[in-house]
Amino acid sequence: MKKLILKLGVYSFLIVISLEVLVRIFYLGEDKPSRFVDDKKVEKWIPGQVGYSITGNRNQNFIRYNINSSGFNSYQEFEPTKDGFEVALVGDSFIEGFHQPYKMSIGRKVEQKFKDRIKVFEYGYSGYDMADQLHLIDAYKEDFRMIDRIYIKMKFSNDLNRGEYNVQNERLKLESPLNKIFKKSKLLVYFSEIGVLSSVRTWVREKKDIIQNREDKPDKTISNINKDEIYLENFKSLVSLYGYDKNKTVLLMDESTTSKLFLDYLDNNGFQHIDFGTEINNSHRKTTLVYDKHWNNYGRSIIAEIIESDLHKVLGEP
Amino acid sequence: MLFNSLEYFIFLPIMFALYWFVLNKSLKFQNFLVLAGSYFFYGLWDWRFLFLIVASTMVDYFVGIMIHKSENDKQRQKIWLWISVIFNLSLLGFFKYYNFFVDSFIDLFEVMGYSIKSTWTLKIILPVGISFYTFQTMSYSMDIYYKRIKPCHDFLSFATFVAFFPQLVAGPIERASNLLHQITNKRTFNYDQIVSGLKLILWGLFKKLVIADGIAPIVDDIFLNHETYPASTLILGVTLFSFQVYGDFSGYSDIAIGTAKLFGVELMSNFKFPNFSRNVAEYWQRWHISLSTWFRHYVYIPLGGSRVSQGRAIRNICIIFLVSGFWHGANWTFIFWGGFHALAYIPVFLMGRNTIYKDNVVGDNSLFPSLTELGQLVLTFGIVTFSRIFFRSESLTDSFNFIGRIFSDFSYAPYEHPNGYRMLDYFILLAVFVLYEYRIRRDERNPFQFKSKAVRFLAYTLVIFTMLLFYDSGFDRSFIYFQF
Repeated sequence: MKKLILKLGVYSFLIVISLEVLVRIFYLGEDKPSRFVDDKKVEKWIPGQVGYSITGNRNQNFIRYNINSSGFNSYQEFEPTKDGFEVALVGDSFIEGFHQPYKMSIGRKVEQKFKDRIKVFEYGYSGYDMADQLHLIDAYKEDFRMIDRIYIKMKFSNDLNRGEYNVQNERLKLESPLNKIFKKSKLLVYFSEIGVLSSVRTWVREKKDIIQNREDKPDKTISNINKDEIYLENFKSLVSLYGYDKNKTVLLMDESTTSKLFLDYLDNNGFQHIDFGTEINNSHRKTTLVYDKHWNNYGRSIIAEIIESDLHKVLGEP
Repeated sequence: MLFNSLEYFIFLPIMFALYWFVLNKSLKFQNFLVLAGSYFFYGLWDWRFLFLIVASTMVDYFVGIMIHKSENDKQRQKIWLWISVIFNLSLLGFFKYYNFFVDSFIDLFEVMGYSIKSTWTLKIILPVGISFYTFQTMSYSMDIYYKRIKPCHDFLSFATFVAFFPQLVAGPIERASNLLHQITNKRTFNYDQIVSGLKLILWGLFKKLVIADGIAPIVDDIFLNHETYPASTLILGVTLFSFQVYGDFSGYSDIAIGTAKLFGVELMSNFKFPNFSRNVAEYWQRWHISLSTWFRHYVYIPLGGSRVSQGRAIRNICIIFLVSGFWHGANWTFIFWGGFHALAYIPVFLMGRNTIYKDNVVGDNSLFPSLTELGQLVLTFGIVTFSRIFFRSESLTDSFNFIGRIFSDFSYAPYEHPNGYRMLDYFILLAVFVLYEYRIRRDERNPFQFKSKAVRFLAYTLVIFTMLLFYDSGFDRSFIYFQF
């Protein structure tokens, strides 16, 4: 009996070590950058980090990231000038682009279309919502004042859950000492990425709910119409709190999934918006990646073309 | 509870620890633990159907004693045996076949020109494992009837034999002559047996998680959209399904046999590398052995087997294959599948080659199979794989459409994985798997046949590593044979 327990222990330990080695050899566990909240209370990545973002069990998407001194993934530094024409793309992981080569990002594609006459700064960060985005623009108003055009990528159903910005502690918990230790093991990171840990977490949560006799009851108190109104109120609140330059700020969204109430409000109050849904949804080719739902190179090209077309209008070019 | 679920990997060590560390002094307590654990294991799926297992257990426990008591009255023995058979088949008939018969009669009447509105069909849930445990309890009564065993007078042991959780829901369908005495006798902690069990569990998980679940999305896609794919893709789909169903079911059986070993119990082998069969008869000696031997012992031989006129022997072959097909599911596709195998088996039988490979394996005296053997393997695999079109299709119409497309649109087009994964990964995986299985083909109960400890350790690590490489958290991981 003792022999069995001892051998099981030794074998398990050695197998874990071997798996850690294999995961490192085949570069299966991604490098997770660290995040922080700066002195302006903006959550971003710690500057200067480089590494590889990996998607899929078998290293199917292997992309290098580069966090610049502003704390965002980009090939360049964000240094707006009074003389040049600069564009800001503000958004979530779709703009952040850990799933794409940073030299083939939406911003870079736009720059290339204008033969580098303009610069595009991508302020993308996974999980950003409208509160994060408007707070960022407000916090760095000196920089954004020099920027000539701002595109905010938004998703109506996700991004207007709150009417005021505060630091998201949930995300920052990922920087806890325990998580930092966790990130040191590539095997654990790999487990997390391929869903082994989430299966365990879901299972534990389900069992906990059963024990506590809790059920996921749909919230019947808030109808979709009410939700649209709440989201609209949140938008109004954010605009009044953090300001909004209607002349140069454009909302970039899939209008097919956006409430009519919200679209009417934007139109009636002079908020500029551009739809990318028609082009993306009607594309004859796949616009998302194989292993996740972010835009692939073709999807990013479509978005870049939409922005290009808008910029030509702004610049008075045909 | 699934063998490949998190619940099971919590349940199993707890059972093991209680069994060997806490209750090891008393056989009764150990059996009670296994019985309670087995009911819990089953009840987690749906506790309402536990009563069927209990009922089947009680009926056959009582019938077994009564058959033995009526030793001198053959007529009375027969009546008792029929009580067991009718009871168990009624359970099966109602829960598994009721709607099939109603629908088939309605279809028949419609063919004859009468239109009948179906008001008789019921919404019946098929209780998991019902085809397995009813066959097991029936075989117990039949074995007593044929005087192969004596009845068990210890209800706790008998109930444990029926509900023994490693093989409760998908076999192997055990015979009382093999399992019951292991339950009634004291088990001792055997280090080698437990290690061998753990190895089988690991290998079974590999077959399930990597081979079966890995290729399942491809098979699902091809069968679902078969009308849009060319012949090359359809052939790929059914070939992969052959591997999927083998990985799924033999993986399950390995985990079951391995788990039983952890409790000091040896279950019968259910698979002996059927993909290396040289004819269809050998295939049936290697595939789902517990079911094919069940039909052999309790249907084929009582009908006269092959020791009757050739015509009757052929009739017997047809009967067992059709019944075997029908056992799998209440669908004409399974009956056709069984019929197809009967047609493939009969020529082998007529040539007298149905038992020639019984005691040897392909490439028995050499490293590689001879060219003739290779041809035989490919032909047998081809026949079996072709029959799987019926096994996998939702309906006969789908089966014939599938076959029709293979022959009418005989063209090639590269196939792309539905989730965009690289197909080459799967081809390499299957090639390595086949070669590895060929290497270990002599002993299905010892998948890691390496003398060197270091090589063995490397093999365990690579098996686990491959499981991670092909793990898909979003995939429904239940076993194919649970539906039977």
